[in-house]
Parts: sequence; C-alpha cells; structure tokens
Amino acid sequence: MTAASLAQGYRRHILGRVALLTGLLAAVGLALLTDIATGPSGIRLTDLLRAENDPALHIILWEIRLPQAVMAVLVGAALALAGAEMQTTLNNALASPFTLGLTNAATLGAACGIVFEISFPGIPALWMVPLNAFAAAVAATLLVNALARTQGAGADTIVLFGIAMVFVMNALLWLIQYVASADAVQQIVFWTMGSLSRATWEKDALVALALAVCLPLSLRQAWAMTTLRSGEDHARSFGIPVGRLRLIVLLRVSLLAAAAVSFVGTIGFIGLVGPHLARLLIGEDHRFYLPGAALAGALVMSLASTASKSIVPGLVLPVGIVTALVGIPLFMTLLLSQRRGR
Amino acid sequence: MSLHLKDLSVQYGRHPVLTGLSPAPIPAGSVVGLLGANGAGKSTLLRALAGLQAASGDARLDGEPLLGRGQPDRVGYLPQSLPQGSPLLAYEAVLSTLRATRPDLSAASAEQRIEAVFDRLGLRDLALRKMAQLSGGQRQMIGLSQVLVRQPRLLLLDEPTSALDLRWQLAVLQTVRSLTAGRSCLALIAIHDINLAARFCDRLLILGNGGLLADATPTDALTPEVLARAYAVEARVEPCSAGFPVVLADRALPV
Repeated sequence: MTAASLAQGYRRHILGRVALLTGLLAAVGLALLTDIATGPSGIRLTDLLRAENDPALHIILWEIRLPQAVMAVLVGAALALAGAEMQTTLNNALASPFTLGLTNAATLGAACGIVFEISFPGIPALWMVPLNAFAAAVAATLLVNALARTQGAGADTIVLFGIAMVFVMNALLWLIQYVASADAVQQIVFWTMGSLSRATWEKDALVALALAVCLPLSLRQAWAMTTLRSGEDHARSFGIPVGRLRLIVLLRVSLLAAAAVSFVGTIGFIGLVGPHLARLLIGEDHRFYLPGAALAGALVMSLASTASKSIVPGLVLPVGIVTALVGIPLFMTLLLSQRRGR
Repeated sequence: MSLHLKDLSVQYGRHPVLTGLSPAPIPAGSVVGLLGANGAGKSTLLRALAGLQAASGDARLDGEPLLGRGQPDRVGYLPQSLPQGSPLLAYEAVLSTLRATRPDLSAASAEQRIEAVFDRLGLRDLALRKMAQLSGGQRQMIGLSQVLVRQPRLLLLDEPTSALDLRWQLAVLQTVRSLTAGRSCLALIAIHDINLAARFCDRLLILGNGGLLADATPTDALTPEVLARAYAVEARVEPCSAGFPVVLADRALPV
C-alpha cells in the first residue's frame, strides 16, 4: 500500500456505505408504495391513481392508506433509531425501547392520560396523551440510566432490570384497565396491541417532528458514540463526557419511543431488528449506522404493515402482532448469521 | 515537562488501595514501569491519573493538576481490556477518536496523523479490517493507536503487552521508548513481565501494601528482598550479558 492509499481505501468503504444507504432508502420507497397499494378493500394502486375523480377512492387514499403507510415508516424509523442509540450508550446489543420497558412505560403513561383525562390549559387534547407517554418514558429512562451507572451493573443486569420493568408496567396497566371505563379499556387495548389504524396526517406530523428533532442531534454526536464503541473507560479518558452523553441520548430515546407508542401503541422488536440489520450491513460508524438503523426499521415496519393487510384477506391485523411474529424469527436469523460471519 | 505525585491516595469505598504515594518527580523522556502483585494498585494509579478514579493528594503534569477531571488533551490512557466484537474498522476506531476529541483538525491532517500512527506501529495491513476479526493483541495495538494519534504528553498504559506475542511486546515497548525519547513526553506502564520492564524502563515504581516498595532504576529496585515483599516469591536477580538485571523466580513463599 502506498502512503496515501490508507485513506483512499477507507473512502472506498465510505462509498460502499453510501450506496447501501441509498439502496435502503429505495427499498423503503418501494415498501411504502406496496403498503399504499395494499388494503382490505382490494383496491389496486392503478385505481388509487384515479382517486381525484372518485370521492370514495380519495378518502381511502388520502385519509386511510397514505397516513397509515407513512406512519409505519415514521414509527419504524423512530423505534429503530431509539434502539440503535440505546444499544450504543448502554453497551448492550439487547437494549431497545421494548426490551428495557420504555415502550411499556409510555403505554402506561398514555393509559393514565386516557383514563384520568389529564389536561393542561393551553395544550391541545391531541398532545396530552403523547405528553403523558413521554413523561412516563422519561421516568423509566432515568431509572434505566441510574442502574446503568451503578457500579458493577453489567449488560445482563440492565436487561434483567428491563424485564422486571416490563412486568411492573404491565401490572400497573392492568390495574388501570381494571378501574377504567369500557370505552377507555378499548382504547388501552388498542395501544397494547399496536395498530396503525388510527393514524392521521396530524399524528404523522408529530412523529415526523420527533424524528426531525432527534436525528440531526444524534448525528451531531456520531463521532462520540462511535468512540464509545471502543469502551467506556477509553472514551472517558479521551475527555468524552460519557455520563452526559448517555443522559442526552436516553432523553432522545424517550421522545422517540413516546412519539411512536402514543399513536400506534406497543410495537415490539423493530427497535432490536432495525439496529442489528444496519450493523450487519453498514457497520458501526454512527454517521452511517444511525440513519441506516432508522431506514432498516422503517423498511421492516412498512413490510410488516403490508403483511398485516395481506395475511388474512379482507382483514387488517394489528401491526404489533405481525412485528412480534415476524420479528422474533428474523431477529434470531440475524443473530445466528452474525455469529457465523465472525 | 515533568510529573509530580504527592501523598496520592485512592480508596474503593472504605477499602484503601493506595495510601500516601509520593515518588520522586518523573522528568520528561522517562519510561516508568509500575510493578506489583495483582491488586497492588497499578491499574488504580493509572485510572486516577487519567481522571477516571477519584483520588486525594496531588498529581501535577507541568504544574497543572491531573486529579479530578484530568487533562484528557494531554493524557493518553490505554485500558487493560478493550471490547471485543465491534464491527468497526480499525481505521475508523482511530478516526472516530480523533474526530470526537479534536474537531478543530482538518480532515487532511487527521488522515495524515492516522497514517503516521499506523506506519509507526506497523499496522497498515490491519487498518481496513473489522475490530471483531482481529486477535486480542491486534485490538490492543489499535487501542494504542487511538491513544498515540492524539499525541499525548503523558502516556498511561495498563498492561499494554499482556495480550501480545513476543515480537509485538518488543515492538510496543520500542515504540513507547522512541516516542518518549523523540518528544517531550513520558510514559507510565503497568506491566507484569518484570524482565521486560527491566529491559525497557528507566525507572521502576514497585507497589505493595498500599504504598511504594521501591522507586529506583531497575538495577537498584529489583532486589530479592523487594521481590519477596512485592510478590511473595523467592527470587534471584542476575545481570544479563547486555547489562540488564534478570529476575529468576525460584519458588512461591507462604503468605
């Protein structure tokens, strides 16, 4: 190798990653189109293109399929980005908003918002449930962070703590359901199953806003997070404020998880599968890994949305059920192929 | 440039690990070996100087305090063990360190620095391989590159040769020697191999019982009495043909 070829060789790797990101973006676009073209009414994309002349088709396209398909992409991206950031800062490949109980905490917060009709003057009702979900997710995050900083708390301890958190949050959720009215219980059940059926453009905009705020901030800390992969002590000795970085990241994760969960309910495994897929394809340079994880999460969620409308003809299954059923085998395959690849 | 330690003490909870450590000032250009049995406080001392471990007393590099927040811009610390299994390329592990801590450097000068470090350590062939595919010793070398690329004035190396084969052990210590000789920096190296320390270090600090058992040149520090106190072994110290002391441990003493 000549003196200049090391950086040149590395630039070829960078180009490869840019190509992969572009490919993922194109795949998300295709998945989105497929999702829009799929529905229980059996109306095809070619028919929908004529929607302007038909009020019924117009409603199906603009008020049902498009907002739901866009929501799938946004929620998938938000959860996978949250999972990727968590896995890096907690140094734990099993960390995700779902496995550490953040999703459940957000669901509990949302349930409290619904049942107790919490409101603040000047804040629109649409914002109150997400705000409750966010507050609960932040509280759960701070608990996880406190444990992660406890001396001697290893990766296994954090995951076990997450499992305990899931159980506690579920127990509290059941308690709230027990005392809630039938109407509120129905709304809560919708949350726990995870469904795109109530997506609207307004809700899409809120999740997009959360992503638009978080992704650029994540990318600004990409070098520090990449360095953190070399070990916490190493990173701290370089002057990287690891404690502060972790807290900021976990607050971002809370926002992303709460934004996603507030409108579509509990969606499992996207926060795990997205980052693992991105790591496998792109590596861990966080400049590429973070957007890669978001795109991979968006792709898997969009495909799950299509599957939820295709498995039983004429019926839309809650997408949370599909992600769990498809996510587990996909995740296991990923893990095993990753081990073989080493 | 010099390093001054005075009354340095570290404790874990109520358990004191180091008490009142006050070695003689360490001048620039020195390579100082930290020796001692397991748990003697070698890693603890390095972590305290790197600002990773709370400590009392005083430690100054060129008169500037080291304890507390440390001086990350001037101190380079290599931990004993580095994580396994990262899909990061070796090149980008070093690049990320530099970009995260020196955002003022241009891309071109960052690349130049990395090229120079990989050349110096003879690691060009590993640069574009994933960390997960490297051996423990190779990962240790990349960890050392992450430290050296920042051009620190004080090197704190915790067992940098423990995972390396003989050739790489010598290569690392030769590199550290040439760095300290060529630039106004100094190195503190925690090391288990006494003979390697005697060969490459100007001075040895031998730790034991929470304090300093010896602070002298290898020839003066390595005596059967000190080795018996530090390691609970019966040992002979003999000069080799190159003039360095060689330790031959004969048997473990009852403790």
